[in-house]
Amino acid sequence: MIEEPYRWVEAIANRREYIEDQLRRGSPVVLLNYADGLLLLTVSRETRKIFEIYDRIAFAALGHPADIERMRLVAIDLAHIEGFNRAVADVSLRRLVNFGMSPALKTAFEQVYGPPFVLKMMLAELGEDAEHDCIVKLDYDGSMGRSEIEMKEPFDVLAGTGEAQEQMLKYLVDNNGSPRRSLDDALQLAARTWAVGIETAERSGEGKEEHVSLEGIDPVKVLKEHLKVRHVEAGLLERGRPDSSKFRLLDEKEIRAALKEL
Amino acid sequence: MDHPAPLPQFLHDGDFLSVLKVHGYEVAPRLAAAAAKFEHEIGKGSIATEGTTVLAIKFKDGVLVAGDRRATTGNLVMYERAEKLINIDTHSVLAIAGVPAVAFEIARVLEHSFKYYQRTQLQEMSTAGKVRSLSKLLKENLPLTLQGVGMVVPIFATYEHTNGRDGAGKVFFYDALGAQFEGVDYAASGSGSLSVRSVLHYLNTWGEKPLARYNESEIIVAALRVLDTAAAADTATSGYNPKQNIFPIVRIVSRDGVRDVGDSELAKIYRANV
Repeated sequence: MIEEPYRWVEAIANRREYIEDQLRRGSPVVLLNYADGLLLLTVSRETRKIFEIYDRIAFAALGHPADIERMRLVAIDLAHIEGFNRAVADVSLRRLVNFGMSPALKTAFEQVYGPPFVLKMMLAELGEDAEHDCIVKLDYDGSMGRSEIEMKEPFDVLAGTGEAQEQMLKYLVDNNGSPRRSLDDALQLAARTWAVGIETAERSGEGKEEHVSLEGIDPVKVLKEHLKVRHVEAGLLERGRPDSSKFRLLDEKEIRAALKEL
Repeated sequence: MDHPAPLPQFLHDGDFLSVLKVHGYEVAPRLAAAAAKFEHEIGKGSIATEGTTVLAIKFKDGVLVAGDRRATTGNLVMYERAEKLINIDTHSVLAIAGVPAVAFEIARVLEHSFKYYQRTQLQEMSTAGKVRSLSKLLKENLPLTLQGVGMVVPIFATYEHTNGRDGAGKVFFYDALGAQFEGVDYAASGSGSLSVRSVLHYLNTWGEKPLARYNESEIIVAALRVLDTAAAADTATSGYNPKQNIFPIVRIVSRDGVRDVGDSELAKIYRANV
């Protein structure tokens, strides 16, 4: 039955709906630039969500842990093979996504008898300077939220619903300070933005409101409530790091110290 | 109805070599090609190195690794600025003696293997694991070694962290067949290694204090002196070359990572102490 074109379109639509539904409650991810590079932040329950892919490339995702793991390994494999066969400098996020990850995701998504990937990803590449940083958002169907454009704004977000993403971006625009903000400032702003995202996703998930307004959301209160059972996870791409590898996961102590003043 | 696999299934044990294999890269033939090229170049009297001196000495804060700069072919000096120390990761240095083409290939594989392991498995490879990886690569190179071409005899120096607390410097040396040995206090390789080992043995046994108690500046002086001693007896080893201002390469592997001791610093020490 799937051989009929119409059925195929229908199957794809069902599949999209199913995946979107799975992702709805996913923990958002916030990317901000700060004085010395890029910060990725999320709040997670158990499994890690922010990873290093290559010397200058970091990865964050929401979705099914097994799919996150599969996609993460695909990205690492591709990057390391390229870095090994050519040179470290030849590994670029744009090529990794355009020629490797995106086609693989699209294929998996459209072959309706096989399992799709249930995840959304954000990848960040640290450039020589802030002008050349690159962020790519990549969805389960291989579509890219943003590709190969230079970073116009020093931030981006990823959330389970479009509504949550919109609210988070709005919050960031309203509260956007200098892009040369300190790491502590960046961590605080990112954590508050995360809270806006999760609250929006949860409210719209309940179906009570068509459009969730930011009114009445106290990000700090929401965050503190969530932190009773979850913990903040944050990774950095640090321009000033002396190693060739620029990624570093912040430890609990650093995060706690920065968020103390919220 | 068969379910098509959307992506090739890779092993998830963090072994970079098996990933390379899936993508058509085999280490042994690649090393063989490198060695064949070396043979060919030797025939023409072109660039290739055999003689050298590299050494690693443990001291109070970690390990000092040093190497001379001369590359030779037979009795010819080919290059006076060769680099024989290769940083493998933030806390490890590989010092190579032997055929450079093969050695650099091994270093390249190692560097990516350690990074790959760390990123896929989300933990750093243990020192034992790293040492073993190098041993495995040397064994891949075995057929060449037995043919008498492409022999590589490296030293691996690393700083091992133990549970994030104070760690210790470690030195490992290998024979050409891939057997690994841990150097208790020091290790040396290459044509000048005999002099180095003799002097270091003397210093360590009958000197003022054992090498392990030297501080950083003392150990740098000792390393430069011993390299000079090796250069005095071995034509394939260069000491400090004042005419062209060429210094040996000296690196300190400590808790803070790998530090290059710069030429200006070495120049001062040479003037004062060597």
